[in-house]
Amino acid sequence: MTDGNFTIGGPSRRDILLLAGGVALASATGLPASAQEAAKKGGILKVAAPANPSSLDPATGGSGADHSLLWTIYDTLVEWDYETLKPKPGLAKWSYPDPKTMVLDIEKGVKFHDGTDLVAEAVKFNLERNRQDERSNIKADLTSVAAVDVTGPLQVTLRLKNPDTALPAILSDRAGMMASPANLKTLGADTNRKPVGAGPWKFVSWADNESVVVTRNDSYWRPGRPYLDGIEFAIIPESATALRSVTSGEKDMAFSLPARLKPVIDRSKQLRMIAAPTLYCVQLYFNYARAPLDNVKVRQAINFALDRDGFVKATMGGLGEAATMTLPSTHWAYDKSVSTLYPHDPDRARKLLAEAGFKDGIEITMGGYNDQDSVQRSEVLQAQLGQGGIRLKFTRGTIPEISAQFFATEKKFDALLSAWTGRPDPSMTYALGFDKGAYYNAGRECDPELSKLIQQSRESENLTERAAVFARIQRFVMENALSAPIAFQYELDALAQKAEGYKADLLGKPKFENMSLG
Amino acid sequence: MLRSSKGHVIVRRLIQAVPVIVLATFIVFALLKLVPGDIAVTLAGDNASDARVAEIRHLYGLDRPFLVQYGAWLWKVLHGDLSTSLLSSEAVLTSIARCFPHTLLIVVLAMVMALAVGIPLGVAAASREGSWLDDAIMTVASLGVAVPNFWLGMLLVALFALDLNWLPATGAVPLGESVGGALSHAILPACALAAGGVAEVTRQLRSSLVEILSSQQVRTLHAKGLSPSAILWRHGLKNVSVNLLTVISLLFNRLLAATVVVEAVFAIPGMGSLIVNAAIHRDFPVVQGVVFAMVLIVVALNLVTDILYNVLDPRIA
Repeated sequence: MTDGNFTIGGPSRRDILLLAGGVALASATGLPASAQEAAKKGGILKVAAPANPSSLDPATGGSGADHSLLWTIYDTLVEWDYETLKPKPGLAKWSYPDPKTMVLDIEKGVKFHDGTDLVAEAVKFNLERNRQDERSNIKADLTSVAAVDVTGPLQVTLRLKNPDTALPAILSDRAGMMASPANLKTLGADTNRKPVGAGPWKFVSWADNESVVVTRNDSYWRPGRPYLDGIEFAIIPESATALRSVTSGEKDMAFSLPARLKPVIDRSKQLRMIAAPTLYCVQLYFNYARAPLDNVKVRQAINFALDRDGFVKATMGGLGEAATMTLPSTHWAYDKSVSTLYPHDPDRARKLLAEAGFKDGIEITMGGYNDQDSVQRSEVLQAQLGQGGIRLKFTRGTIPEISAQFFATEKKFDALLSAWTGRPDPSMTYALGFDKGAYYNAGRECDPELSKLIQQSRESENLTERAAVFARIQRFVMENALSAPIAFQYELDALAQKAEGYKADLLGKPKFENMSLG
Repeated sequence: MLRSSKGHVIVRRLIQAVPVIVLATFIVFALLKLVPGDIAVTLAGDNASDARVAEIRHLYGLDRPFLVQYGAWLWKVLHGDLSTSLLSSEAVLTSIARCFPHTLLIVVLAMVMALAVGIPLGVAAASREGSWLDDAIMTVASLGVAVPNFWLGMLLVALFALDLNWLPATGAVPLGESVGGALSHAILPACALAAGGVAEVTRQLRSSLVEILSSQQVRTLHAKGLSPSAILWRHGLKNVSVNLLTVISLLFNRLLAATVVVEAVFAIPGMGSLIVNAAIHRDFPVVQGVVFAMVLIVVALNLVTDILYNVLDPRIA
């Protein structure tokens, strides 16, 4: 429990079978897995992955589900602490000599998989490409960068347009994944399927909707790593099938499973379950630029009508955390004082509606998705808000379809039941979701005070100072009820007993770097 | 005579196939464009601004007029290029070449099972019409039609893969890699798929056979002193062969479509998974490519059926 994860499981039937055959030497000691010797080297980990990657080029991809695959091939300039997402050095150490200058000192002796050196020139090439190439999807992450200068063989200096202390966290994500410039130059516009990075594993093959295979990088810069000789990802979008592939012993692990499969994992003795909080927040997006949600009282009424704990129980089998703001309680910038703003109070909701001029309740049009979990969520939501006098008129469709109708130019629906997948730095979450003109701010309007606070949150390098600014942002967003966060989803993983060393992370995008096969 | 009429059938069918292919791909293309949702939004990624989405649309030529986009696709196809996936950049032909064998294997296996079980059952039921055996077979056949194949699939997995550990629960192995592996992976999905087929073959065969067996011709054969089994196997089955062929070709087409669900249950990276994933994201080059391939397959299949009709019964020209 100390690491924020809890693990459930017992001796597996397979272990016993293996014992009978005299094969399972490691588990023959009878000790639990954690008490055995340090991680064993070798072996191929077989993993069921939930989605086909959109691209294996970090700059051109677009799906949050890509990261788990990308992280095997690419190391990032900055990394984070698994439990709190506090940034820490990766391929580089960073410093801010002044608020508008960021210096990156690159680790010595790192090589890309093609044998070329990961030096200052390569980092500059990657950052310039990420912020300027027409195919780059992450230009918006690096808008604060004015210039990238090579100031030493292993030193890069970023000149900033404005202070931006979100950059360390940004460089722990796609923008900080270093790809071989030599390879990118050869490939031209055809970079999606032939990745060369400097990560623990090298790319072998990718067959759409079928598999991604990576193999050990023998010249990896971290001594003794990685433990695994390789990873074979089988792409299995149907989560129940993915879990079956682990139950049957064909795969060693399935990740990012929906909470409804928890009872199935519990029943299976040969599986270990890992469940841990993530930034993934099920929430209601509001279009507050127009009636009726331009009225703060209506938005507050919705927040009071929500029974968040009930929602976690009903839709997540208890595997979740009630969300009172856009950050979960374990995050470094979480502010406890905001969490008490909206207790479950349907009467208060009705009163607020009456004050807003809706004595007989109000009807709200809402977009939602048509997959099994989303439909269930929408039904629970409908029941809860109904008690507060808020009647929901749902339109359901596929995720891209409904999201585009709400966020893009059509501006259908007053609200959207969706989720925020989280970002490495909280300032990105607020900038992308609430700032003026932001895509995930359907109404595109923003109070200048909030805009200023978002900017301010990127000015200090000190995390305590930044946390104080985020506390003000969270209070502003929640007091004005600019959204209705409902619940944080847990990362739910099923592992075979022999798959060891895995730890879930708060970003909810699993890394396999510490894993080994016992 | 036979030869020239056969040639005639082939040529006529091939000519007919061209407008079918164009029409099918055009309608699918139009549907993809008409329904809401935009691949540019998916391509632009998680953080996309309106401007970025517009930029993507331009970059991938998605802002061109509808007919121009379709024309461009068709033009490429005429030059033997099925283009590449907008999402993942994999060549559509590569995807199809990899996925189709998986689908074909389970469809063919299901077909073989449906015939291997359905024909004896149908014959048994017809030759003892009205008996308890007939009733029992027909009840089982009705169940076979009624049971959803994804549900049957999950039951099969629970029993044969998870409990007994006899067969793999998920995935597929190419035949070229390992014949045993490919078959062991294909057996359960093929069983799930075959259940409906068994029922259909049984019922169709029984009703045609019952009709034949009660005909004047069969009475004459009885009068001639032929044994009942000779009548059944030599004359009865020969007469229902045309009907059976119709059932087989319809069944084959239906099984090709039914694999979509079974592939999802068994995590088989076949044509079904390919087109579903592409359709959800409006990845139209892939959808178009799969539709194109499927239409070709169905047209070819119908052509073969027509030729076989001609062989089995020369009166059908």
